[in-house]
Amino acid sequence: MPASHPMIELRNLHRYFDETRAVDNVSFRVYAGQVFGYIGPNGAGKTTSMRILATLDLPTAGDALIDGFSVVNDPDRVRYRLGFMPDYFGTYANVNVREYLDFFARAYQIRGQRRHDAVERVMGFTGLDVLAEKPTNGLSKGMKQRLCLGRSLIHDPAVLVLDEPAAGLDPRARIEVRSMIRSLANEGKAILISSHILTELAEVCDEVAIIEQGRLLAVGSVDEIRNQARPPQNAVEVRLLDDVAGTGAAELGRWLGDRSDVKELNVNGDSVRFLHAGTPEDEASLLRSMIEAGFRVIAFGSKDQTLEDVFMQVTEGRVQ
Amino acid sequence: MSTQAPSPTLELAAPSGAVARWWKTADRALAWAGERLNPILVKETRQALKSKQFMVTFGLLLACGWIWSIIGVSSIGPGAWHGESGPEMFMGYYCILAFPLIVIVPFAAFRSLAGEQEDRTYELMSITTLGPRQIVRGKLGSSVMQMLIYLSALSPCLAFTYMLRGLDFPTILFSTLYVSLGSLALSMVGLFLGTLTAEKHWQIMLSVAWIAGLLYAFGGSIALADELIFGWGIDVLDAEFWQVNAAIFTAYVAYFVLIFYAAASRITFSTDNRSTRLRAVMFVQFALATAWMAWFWVGPVRGEDFALPVYLMMVGIHWYAMGVFMTGESPELSLRVKRRLPQSFLGRGFLTWFNPGPGTGYVFATVNLAAAVFVVLFAVVVAESFHGGEFLPQWDSDHVEQTLAFGVLFLSYVVAYLGVGLLLVRMLRRAVRVGIALAPIMQILLLLIGCGVPWVVQMLTFPDEGGRWDYSLLQAPDPFWSLGYVVDDWQSGLSDDTGWLLVIVPLTALLVFLLNLRGVAHEVRQVRIAKPKRVAEEDAEKLPPPESARPSPWD
Ligand SMILES: Nc1ncnc2c1ncn2[C@@H]1O[C@H](COP(=O)(O)OP(=O)(O)OP(=O)(O)O)[C@@H](O)[C@H]1O
Ligand SMILES: [Mg+2]
Repeated sequence: MPASHPMIELRNLHRYFDETRAVDNVSFRVYAGQVFGYIGPNGAGKTTSMRILATLDLPTAGDALIDGFSVVNDPDRVRYRLGFMPDYFGTYANVNVREYLDFFARAYQIRGQRRHDAVERVMGFTGLDVLAEKPTNGLSKGMKQRLCLGRSLIHDPAVLVLDEPAAGLDPRARIEVRSMIRSLANEGKAILISSHILTELAEVCDEVAIIEQGRLLAVGSVDEIRNQARPPQNAVEVRLLDDVAGTGAAELGRWLGDRSDVKELNVNGDSVRFLHAGTPEDEASLLRSMIEAGFRVIAFGSKDQTLEDVFMQVTEGRVQ
Repeated sequence: MSTQAPSPTLELAAPSGAVARWWKTADRALAWAGERLNPILVKETRQALKSKQFMVTFGLLLACGWIWSIIGVSSIGPGAWHGESGPEMFMGYYCILAFPLIVIVPFAAFRSLAGEQEDRTYELMSITTLGPRQIVRGKLGSSVMQMLIYLSALSPCLAFTYMLRGLDFPTILFSTLYVSLGSLALSMVGLFLGTLTAEKHWQIMLSVAWIAGLLYAFGGSIALADELIFGWGIDVLDAEFWQVNAAIFTAYVAYFVLIFYAAASRITFSTDNRSTRLRAVMFVQFALATAWMAWFWVGPVRGEDFALPVYLMMVGIHWYAMGVFMTGESPELSLRVKRRLPQSFLGRGFLTWFNPGPGTGYVFATVNLAAAVFVVLFAVVVAESFHGGEFLPQWDSDHVEQTLAFGVLFLSYVVAYLGVGLLLVRMLRRAVRVGIALAPIMQILLLLIGCGVPWVVQMLTFPDEGGRWDYSLLQAPDPFWSLGYVVDDWQSGLSDDTGWLLVIVPLTALLVFLLNLRGVAHEVRQVRIAKPKRVAEEDAEKLPPPESARPSPWD
């Protein structure tokens, strides 16, 4: 997939607000056709880095490049290529949807028939064509969200930076936004999209970066991050057959207690829970030796980690 | 304003070929113009047409016009067409018109940027490919549009006063013209003020000050109209009328352009060059002032020997004020600015001083002021050598010395104050991050210290009768008192104190200038850097370099 050069590139980006290190040495690259998820808890520095990309703020140190152009030194060339959807709406009083989009199309110096087409295309894509004559101030939140996505697409930019585009949308609208993003990526746009929730972006993103307190904690595909985050210990639950009295379970508990790879043993009725350190291979051999030792195991479950768990493990929940 | 809608006239199979062709051309011209209109102007016109507030203001204006007409006509009664009631009626309409033009439109201009900043639409607009000058032009355009609408609403009333007699057409024309130009200038200032701060509390303080200023200006405009109609009147056959108008208009345009570029520069991306254009405007203003001085010196209005001191005072204040802001610029040039630094010998020699930076700004301001002093010296020498001739004004040799003393002192004060301010700003910059606003604050402090400390010392040390209130050399740091003293001496020749001043102040200025040279040299040594590869690639794609392009010697 990677094209010759990245469409979005952050190079050791720093942005400090006095003592607060909102963005602290962040680097990553996004290529054409890629959807890149930028995930972190509140105050992680997502909006700050995106504002720098959108040429609304300057980095304290480092640089960011859009299609090879520096946001610091060539903001004019960057603006031409970049569509930015901020985490607020910015609508005008007494302006309807069509006029709103027309204004931004004019502001991007699109003239004549091309502008007319651009407005129609964007309204069609975002499903706003039925609301063309509605005043922008009177739109619902979800509709405003679409309008803002539309505005960021009006000049058909090669790069999209979307700050929490799905926040506050109903489930159906979320799915629609996701499919819009996917289809934009299929057109060859490079898309950077932020969210608090890893799960929300897992399907649509080719790669994700997890950021907290301004620092990147992990970068890679969702699976890579899952593997990186896979803890050395797995939660395992074992149940034994016909063990109403729980004597077998207690015995298993003692048996397991002698092993060095088992921790946090917890015997509860007929089930035994513990943390096991090792690969899935090791788990299999643990099960075999359990059976060989005469325990009548009917259930042996190693809980698979959800993306939420991964996120919770990677981040630490600190705020600054 | 959609230009896409096919013109209905085209589908209606026009009756005659000529008319159809004319329609087609007009339609195309409109479409063409519609495409090239400033996007902000288009948007704000659409907004205004739907805005209740605008309709209410407009309706009120019309209503006031009607009410005044009714009051006027009923009080004049049937004699309306015979008496000379035009001036009174006109004054009433003028007040009704001046209020929206002088107060509402400029205040709306101020609020329009602030309002967009509050709604955060400003950010969205600023990251489009609209340039800062386009933004200012668009906002200014919508002020002009409002102005024209108000004007057209009241124009029938104004025409009506002409029919009432007692008022000539030039008076109506010029008073309307002046109030419109005033409105335009105040709108420009309003826009500039709107760019000054995005912070809420400063915005509020500025709004209050601006409203107060506008109300004051409204009062001024009424007083002016009163003079024009009932006082001086307007005599279009008088050459002096045109001369004064032309001089004021030159100043008007020059400062309008300066404020326009200042506003644009305030909203320019901070790594861009925000200074060079402004410096060029300042330079042009200076040249225009010099040209007018020469005109008053040798032109038809002869013998105006005050032209020289007034000129020195004007350009002195001009370069001091401009210098204050230039010395507040950041000494670090962005890579973007460095790409376009002049690199030829000529360019580096002359154009370097137009580059952004406090040191270059300091030299730019002081060298230009020094040039003004030389111009005056030259004028004086010419006058001397033609003494008694018919061509040049009579010139008294005492005045020569005094004018030159005044010029040299003024220059020295500017060099010294700007220089000390710059040194302090540089020192502070090492410790903290500060913006351009530091420089004016620093200058105000310096002036307060320079004037206040010697004054307090003099008050405390001199005995009551012994010249406590007389000028003494202790006041050398005080530019106002010292310059005033030199001018006051006008009739009596140069005193000893003036002689000493002419030694102390220029020497101090020289010292300060030398102390600043290191900083200046650092800025001047910066050289052009190559464009990044990616930028060069794109430029080459867009327009291939012409084959025989000989580089300009200034580049
Ligand atoms: N203009 C500013 N001045 C001072 N501090 C700021 C400013 N903007 C952001 N910050 C700080 O920078 C840090 C990062 O903020 P940012 O808005 O980038 O987080 P975020 O990841 O977008 O959070 P959220 O998910 O809540 O939107 C926060 O600690 C915030 O307080
Ligand atoms: Mg945010």
